[in-house]
Amino acid sequence: MTSPSPSSPRGFSRRTLLAASAASLAFLATGCTSSSADEREQVTSEQADELGAQVAVQEAVVSAFVAAGAADPALAAEVADLAAQADEQLTRLRAAAPDSSSSSSAPAGSAPAAPETRAWLRGQVATAAASHATACVDQSGARAALLGSIAAGLAGQDGRLA
Amino acid sequence: MADDDTDAGTLDERTENAALSEALAAEHAAIWGYGVVGAALDPTAQAAAVASEVAHRDVRDQVVTLLAERGTEPVGAEGGYTLPFPVLSPIDAAALAVTLEDGVSAAWVRVLDQSVERSTRELAVGVLTATEGRAVSWRTAAGQSPTTSAFPGLPAT
Repeated sequence: MTSPSPSSPRGFSRRTLLAASAASLAFLATGCTSSSADEREQVTSEQADELGAQVAVQEAVVSAFVAAGAADPALAAEVADLAAQADEQLTRLRAAAPDSSSSSSAPAGSAPAAPETRAWLRGQVATAAASHATACVDQSGARAALLGSIAAGLAGQDGRLA
Repeated sequence: MADDDTDAGTLDERTENAALSEALAAEHAAIWGYGVVGAALDPTAQAAAVASEVAHRDVRDQVVTLLAERGTEPVGAEGGYTLPFPVLSPIDAAALAVTLEDGVSAAWVRVLDQSVERSTRELAVGVLTATEGRAVSWRTAAGQSPTTSAFPGLPAT
């Protein structure tokens, strides 16, 4: 079935194809910079502002999970892994934002009581996913990759909450 | 420094087209792989594999057209691909689908990383989002946990 097989299993080990850009992507993963990444990843003030705004968007998602958990403890247990992923996303976004401390937190507000809590949380997650996806288009390089990835991750969460 | 010095990380149309070519190769692999997935699934579950394959065919056609418009020869499908593990059951099939979708996600994240055109990033983030949506369903079918990913397509830290 696999003959003739290419020298490497194209498509089945795509992560290895990221090796060429590992420096820039790793830069985002760790929050550290390298000289080449710095050079390529110079961010305009407008892009920096937009990235800071996306930090606030992600803070709202994290707040939404907290609020939903308070309103519906059973839901909190069910989506604990999703909440943890939202926290991870916020950490990486903050590391990537040139001045994330300047972003203002955008609280999600109070969640409705069950059984409306899930739909409310889903709406919060979907809104954030759309916001990150839109912002991703106006960024470049590793910042675009990070925002796009987070947007997709939150869209996946939206699907699971459905 | 020359503009085309990719070692220094400069982005240009060449880097973008190279990433799109890699994404196209990943789409070809996914289309091939879904043939294996479908063959190993129960008949009642094959609709999901067919829908996934159709989605990848649509993206493939979009990328082929885009590259051709730019005068870049689109990469073709391989004659065959090496499976990452034996696919002997519906669970194996779902796990293979996860591998396929994760591979495609990685390729499209690279497109985001390497693109200079806004329209290309729009395409990439749309494909990436749809790909992760399918991956969540396949992880569920494969019994994997967690079913979601915080950073689809990005290397693990």
